[in-house]
Amino acid sequence: MDQNHRILSRRVMMKIILSLLSSVFILTGSVHAACSFSNSVPLKSLTAGFQAWKSVTGAMAECGNLEAELDQDFRLKQPDAFAANPSLYHIGGVANSTMVPLLDAGTIRPLDGLVAKYGKHLKPQQLIKIDGKIMAVAMMVNAQHLMYREDIFNNLGLAIPSTYGELISAAEKIQQAGTVDYPLGGTYKAGWNLAEEFVNMYLGYGGEFFGNANEPAINNLDGVLTLETMKELTRFMDPEYLVSDSTYVQKQFQQGKIAMANLWASRAGAMDDAKESQVVGKVQFASAPAPTMGNRPASTLWWDGIVIAKNISDAEADAAFRVAMEGLDRQMVQAHNEDAIWLIDGYSAGKAAKGASETASNGAVPYPASKKMGLMHTALGNGIADFLTGKKDARKALADIESAYRTAAKEAGLMN
Amino acid sequence: MKFRTFALFVGPSVLLMFLFIATPLISVLWQSFHLTKPVFENVEVETCTPSFTGQTCVTENKTRPKLNKEGRIIEETQFVGLQSYRSLIEPEKTLTALSSGNWSQIQNIDFWKALRFTLTFTFITLPLVIGVGFAIALAVNNVLKALKGYVIFISLLPFIITPVIGALSIRWLFIGDGILTAFLEWWLERDIALFAQGWTIELLMLFYRVWHSAPFAFVVLYAGLQTINQDSLESAIIDGANRLQRLRFIIVPHLMPLIIFIALIHLMDAYRVFDEIVGFSSQAHVISLQWLTYDLLTPDDSGSRSIGRASASAMLTMVGIALILVPLLRRTWRDHHEA
Amino acid sequence: MSIKEPVEAFSSNPLEVILGPFTRNQGKGLSLLDMILGGIILYFTVKLVIDWLPKKVRRHSPWQQEWLGWMIGTLFFGIAAFFLFFFILPNLMVSLNLWIGTLGKPLLGLTMEHYHAVWVENEFYRNFINSLIVTAGVVAISLSIGTLAGYGLARSRTNLAFGILIVALIFRALPHSVLVAGYLPVFMHSREILEPIFGSSAPTLYGQPWAVIAVLVSINQPFTIWMLRSFFQNIPSELDEAARVDGCNHFQAFRMVIMPVMWPGVITTGLFSFLLAYNDYLVTSLLLDAQNQTMVPAISGYFNRETTTTDQVEAVAAAVSITAPLLLLVLVFQKQIVSGLVQGAVKG
Repeated sequence: MDQNHRILSRRVMMKIILSLLSSVFILTGSVHAACSFSNSVPLKSLTAGFQAWKSVTGAMAECGNLEAELDQDFRLKQPDAFAANPSLYHIGGVANSTMVPLLDAGTIRPLDGLVAKYGKHLKPQQLIKIDGKIMAVAMMVNAQHLMYREDIFNNLGLAIPSTYGELISAAEKIQQAGTVDYPLGGTYKAGWNLAEEFVNMYLGYGGEFFGNANEPAINNLDGVLTLETMKELTRFMDPEYLVSDSTYVQKQFQQGKIAMANLWASRAGAMDDAKESQVVGKVQFASAPAPTMGNRPASTLWWDGIVIAKNISDAEADAAFRVAMEGLDRQMVQAHNEDAIWLIDGYSAGKAAKGASETASNGAVPYPASKKMGLMHTALGNGIADFLTGKKDARKALADIESAYRTAAKEAGLMN
Repeated sequence: MKFRTFALFVGPSVLLMFLFIATPLISVLWQSFHLTKPVFENVEVETCTPSFTGQTCVTENKTRPKLNKEGRIIEETQFVGLQSYRSLIEPEKTLTALSSGNWSQIQNIDFWKALRFTLTFTFITLPLVIGVGFAIALAVNNVLKALKGYVIFISLLPFIITPVIGALSIRWLFIGDGILTAFLEWWLERDIALFAQGWTIELLMLFYRVWHSAPFAFVVLYAGLQTINQDSLESAIIDGANRLQRLRFIIVPHLMPLIIFIALIHLMDAYRVFDEIVGFSSQAHVISLQWLTYDLLTPDDSGSRSIGRASASAMLTMVGIALILVPLLRRTWRDHHEA
Repeated sequence: MSIKEPVEAFSSNPLEVILGPFTRNQGKGLSLLDMILGGIILYFTVKLVIDWLPKKVRRHSPWQQEWLGWMIGTLFFGIAAFFLFFFILPNLMVSLNLWIGTLGKPLLGLTMEHYHAVWVENEFYRNFINSLIVTAGVVAISLSIGTLAGYGLARSRTNLAFGILIVALIFRALPHSVLVAGYLPVFMHSREILEPIFGSSAPTLYGQPWAVIAVLVSINQPFTIWMLRSFFQNIPSELDEAARVDGCNHFQAFRMVIMPVMWPGVITTGLFSFLLAYNDYLVTSLLLDAQNQTMVPAISGYFNRETTTTDQVEAVAAAVSITAPLLLLVLVFQKQIVSGLVQGAVKG
């Protein structure tokens, strides 16, 4: 009797658990709404995971049969995954730098035929051409530009700085007025971010990274000037600048702790997000300042877009590109206008796009993505902190960065 | 036990370890003596990229790998001997720095910088972890029976918390005006920037590791305390031994094998310190050996990584651990033959 | 922090983070009545867990395995409490608060929207299920082959056995990042590599949970066999020798004599395997694709180039969600951990 009772009660318990579980896990079915066709070929995509990609892959998924993988480690996985035969993914999301390894390894296919077939709505500047062949379709651009607190600038009667000299004197006045904790924010986190700041400033001074035969060429006057300007700027920043990435700077802005920063355009929207920000409507955007009068702005232009794998059948590529185009259409942009500065037809450029487009028209150049630049970026990211913390002088830091680059370039086969 | 039976018992385990640990290890060893490079060619390439209004096209001389007929990159592998080790340790620079007696110059070489931190980190946390763990174990052993469960539960928490989450919490709590920093600032009435200089970060890292590892020491030692022969304790009390004497002559000797066990586990784990570097974003100030390996191994945006140097660094880390393990190996050898 | 609006979740004023005035002003929060009633119900729930649950568990545990009974009991209790505190009570309180007036006004800012976003909108339950699969797989396989190997090693005096132990010890000391980076290209190209052996059915290992389980089991083997070996060494070998005299072979002796007494050591070792599998980040983040992603690496999805403050608050909510089951687990198993260790699993 007791045995039976126990089995029974266990069964009842199981049932209750199962019914509870199912009531939690019931979900709305997938909707095939906004897609103009129904896709029957199983496809997979591998992209980064930020908001713009969520919107785009979401729109692609409406066509059905797409497994979208939004992965933080996509750049670790993409080269190998696309080199497998058959490729593990059909659609890839890349930026100008992360396209380099795929292009070098020849694992993405030219898209001219597919663009002619399905890409009539694409604007000419969306087509990334390498030696005349379309290799990728860009969807958005990004650049760092000046964001500043309009209210503070008006109160103190400051003009919008167009050079770093002006920016520093503005920072001094803000510091004296003491309205914010720190006049300046900066994405100076050691590693990729810090190196990006150097690249921006160095290109602003008109510097060249490489000499003949992939030799490094940063140990020069421009390099020293760049480092010294960077150090000068840190005087006005939170002393923890070596751990501050763009999310951190954005948060400082939102909480009203800083008055200016050279920050990514894609962060502009967050300043006016009432759910997060305490400075709604107070932040304005302008061109990234130039190092000195007559230079180009200290910023580089980036793009994000899609590529199609080479090691898949033509039928799959056809379906993949068609689905991708559904993700990059007018409807998607209109539904997610604020997620990025879209290149896609139908985007209405708002306040957030102003700073970035001014930066571009003042002459900022595209980030010089290449294999050697990848190595240089890593060497810079690991080497600059020693100068900022005062362990090395500028010349020594630059020489050490060059020698770190040389070691890596020799290993990679770029130098002998 | 016959060999066949023994093989059946340990077979599955050994096979898995061979497949997933030994094979990668052998390949790491091999890679530390070889370099694989693509064959490059220099070509003029025209690249068109988007700007805001139109397109920017540039023609430049690019170095890119050659592809073979199947569309794969042509690669060459050559034996380079100790070259990867040399570019990691940089012996010439090290010797000049040593002969000039300049400590900070040695610290400019990543490998020595990482080794310096790894060793200090390992040997500073070791006594702290054992001491704190032992103290908690004694305390728990002496609290009221009704409270024991709760105390054990709370003491175990830091040990079970997911390391990634532990590291993230530090970011949330301390970086910038995180809630704990803000509290400290309010309490001490001064401005505090814990992440602005190397030594505060290093201190926080030490503290975090002790917080995270002491519970393991605690639970093992606590278990050990339960096995102490009560008779000998009681007879010691009758003989008039005070607390301290009992601790010194009965408890500690009894727990000695456990303390050695904890010490060696801790040495192995602390020597691999990595989570802390990432969690505290300390690479601008201090780095560890495993972080160095990881950094060399992580590809940059354009997909290049330094497999040769990373393998060399991994092998050197292993040699270091093997040296640290020597005492345990000797003891196990003794046990094995006595048993 | 995960129960406040993003605007103040990371505020530099600790009081604001605790009280959440902004969240409260939005009408999201706990009223005095909520706190009193909630407190009373919470008290009785805790009392039930402490007084009533242990008795029930002791009476109804399947196969006399108390820990199994505890697992079922906690699971059941956890789900019931989850529904009580997250569905029934909040809905009830909304109407009660309206009815009672001033006492029902929110006093302490609190919002569960981030948990809702994490679990429902971001489908974190998928990661939860994946975590369950990987963790259960790792614990089960790791223990089955680990106990066999541990027993074999404990009963063998050969130099080979000693050699295996030493090599395993060195393996334990290896930095994981070195191993894992080596797997990635092989796993991705495994189909091409294995094709000559398996033909067209050769699998792509990348993204497969069972491949990750195999990796985690292997990484964890050294620790497992060391712990279990010491444990088996403390079980007198006269026991199984007596069984062998009665005509059993080694496997029968293991099954009849050793298996019934080995559970304390196995459970303790199993807990360490569980922690390793559940907490792993490096292996799972690199070798699993999005469909099979476990919880810990899924958190990193909240941190990228474009992380917003809302993302960060949701990450905190996800972190809390990951930690909660761990707390339950230790609550249930803390006695077993200690008793397993006492019985000799730690004698080096």
